[in-house]
Amino acid sequence: MSVARFLSDSLAIAENEFREFRRNRSAILISLVVLPLFFTVSLGAGQGGAGTTFSPTAHIPIAWVDNDNSLASIRLWQTLAGSPDFRNLIQGYSEQSAVAQLGTKRIYAVIVVPKGFQNDLENGNQARLILYTDDGEPGVSDQIQATLTSYTQNFNPNVEVQPHLSQLQRQSVAGVAIVTKGATFAGFNIGLTTVLAIVQIFACFYEIAGGISREREEGTYARLLVSPVSLGSIVLGKTLFDILLTIVRTFTILGISIYGYGARPNTDLGTLLALSLIVALVTIGIGFVVAALKVGQRAVVIIEFFLILFLFAFSGLIIDSNLLVGISQVVSYLLPFTYAFDALKRTVLLGRPLLSLTFDLEYLIGSIIVSYAMAFVLLHFSRERLIT
Amino acid sequence: MNMKSFVLDTIAITQKELKQLRRDPVSLLLTIIFPILLIGIFIVIASAFRATTHNVPVVVADLDGSPASNALLNQLTQSRFIHVTELVGTESQAYQAVANGQAIGAIVIPQGFGTSLASGNAFVIISTDNSKLTSSAFVSAAVNQGAQNLVTQALQQGGVSFGLKVSSIEVITRPLSGRPPTGDPILPGFLGMIAILGGFDDIVNAINRERERGTFPRLTLSPVSLFAVYSGKMFATVVLTILRTALVLLIFTLYGLTIRGNLILIFFTTVLIAVFTLSLGLSISARIRGSATLTVLEIAMTFPLFTLAGTFNSPLLLAPGGKAIADSLPWTYGNDALRRLIYLGAGFNAVAGDLLILIVSSLILLPVAISLSKRTM
Repeated sequence: MSVARFLSDSLAIAENEFREFRRNRSAILISLVVLPLFFTVSLGAGQGGAGTTFSPTAHIPIAWVDNDNSLASIRLWQTLAGSPDFRNLIQGYSEQSAVAQLGTKRIYAVIVVPKGFQNDLENGNQARLILYTDDGEPGVSDQIQATLTSYTQNFNPNVEVQPHLSQLQRQSVAGVAIVTKGATFAGFNIGLTTVLAIVQIFACFYEIAGGISREREEGTYARLLVSPVSLGSIVLGKTLFDILLTIVRTFTILGISIYGYGARPNTDLGTLLALSLIVALVTIGIGFVVAALKVGQRAVVIIEFFLILFLFAFSGLIIDSNLLVGISQVVSYLLPFTYAFDALKRTVLLGRPLLSLTFDLEYLIGSIIVSYAMAFVLLHFSRERLIT
Repeated sequence: MNMKSFVLDTIAITQKELKQLRRDPVSLLLTIIFPILLIGIFIVIASAFRATTHNVPVVVADLDGSPASNALLNQLTQSRFIHVTELVGTESQAYQAVANGQAIGAIVIPQGFGTSLASGNAFVIISTDNSKLTSSAFVSAAVNQGAQNLVTQALQQGGVSFGLKVSSIEVITRPLSGRPPTGDPILPGFLGMIAILGGFDDIVNAINRERERGTFPRLTLSPVSLFAVYSGKMFATVVLTILRTALVLLIFTLYGLTIRGNLILIFFTTVLIAVFTLSLGLSISARIRGSATLTVLEIAMTFPLFTLAGTFNSPLLLAPGGKAIADSLPWTYGNDALRRLIYLGAGFNAVAGDLLILIVSSLILLPVAISLSKRTM
């Protein structure tokens, strides 16, 4: 078979895929609108965009109980209440009544200045603050404690107005400043790396594996196999179709992230597109393998759900791969998507050139070749069985 | 139609739904696997955070070589967060190691650190690979802890005041639950998510798959009222949610989480979450007919809820836009109620508002969903 014939068949398959896609309004809606929009908007809304710097503790109602009533405790109150991080400090509670209010959602923490606070500071002893927290709200206790500590670490009771400290200075220990270097990320950049990959994985897997299983259930896949079109053309045609959808989705996500949430990727459009396509090709390859196993549409959806859950746990999305322990770290290092996320972070966040990430690229391209080869062999055998 | 006949029809439909599930191994497996897998993932993540040592690779450049910088270096090598892989001679070598990916952090103790410490103006430079979000935070924490220990040590040895103002205020945290700080507060949110995913899956089984098989029109033509059909399907979800909740609570107990709240209230909350989800799923299924398409859509809707409905983090910590979305989602109140019941051991009064929101939302959505569903017949 000539190359021209092979390409012409592939284009015919891709055209057929587009025709079917165009006629299915739900597929268009889910693939090109719901998935990119849902993930980008929900993550953007949760993290906040570039123009919306916010302090997580600023508006949390916190009771302030001053049992010392000294100059030092009043100055600490002034420091905290005047800061952008504690705008909802409530006075007037006794320690007992404030603690009793915890868990009722009226207040979420109580800061108690114990008696002798100023004396301890004057005598060079370590003074204490007691922080009661509603730890039924995940993350709130840690956040309030960390923010409060950042202020108390550098609090000077002898100064009426505490000097303004930058975020970095507040992270330092009194006496030893910690100067942090390294890339800092504008706005929604971290969210962009997550959304870009997750949406492509989610959509491509369903489009390929789900698409073939649907065709199989409808009986059109068998007809396609007995038509005078090679298996290679079928695989390439379906890949071309999904690549085009991937490009549309990439632009949609970039548009919302950049113009809606102020993401400023430290890389060029070509790199972003190339990485999106690599992620898509890895997923499409795996999708073909799953499709070759002759699973039903419902099973495809279930596998997809587990795949995404797997990614959240093992591919460095929630916790860096190097921090995972035991078998979970091995799983993480075997997953091609771990390297895809790594490449996305290094390019989008750090501005590293894509071609400098040789290991990531080698692993990803290797995964694409292996998955396509596996899919081709499996589809070939299933085709033989179908025909005989 | 009298009440007795309605109840009998409802029970018959419920039995039919459960029998169908029992005969479908994939769906049955899914019902059991969902909770186990979700909690398994939590355990993987939690065990990584709970690890006693993290061994984040760092390189250190001690450009001072003074007793003070040596003391800091000792503190860093003893840190449970980081692992000093190499001592380099220059600042640029340290940064290069991070740029090359050989280390996640570079710590530079500058020349004159010892003398600056005595005047209270010392500083340490850290450079981290910030694409590794958690690891770089561990490097900062290790340096902060090391510096804190160094200052405290110097003061305790006496005679050296350094002229510096020490970190003299300690914040002692007393959590309301009295439990040690762990990742466990997010577990009740996982139960909420399991109820949501289960509810969505049930609606796919109950309506869309029946439509695909062609059995739904037959069911509506049988001498059973449409209301009994829907209530039967809903009761099947209630039964399945109770089973899923029991399974998850069992896993929690085996994992070591003490469940403090009233069990009936916990079951009631998950049932309300499932009923609301079922109502929403029913509304969507009026538009989206394919069971696989609906499942994909519902999974796509569910993943953002891990962030927005307060599963991983409290909605209080979200950006204003995210908080507004979280506040408008009834699931947020369901997850909140579950956390208060399971983790804090709160009573009915503490969660009454949350439950009321779930009930009212379901009461509003359910008739709308049934009416939309009827139109598709």
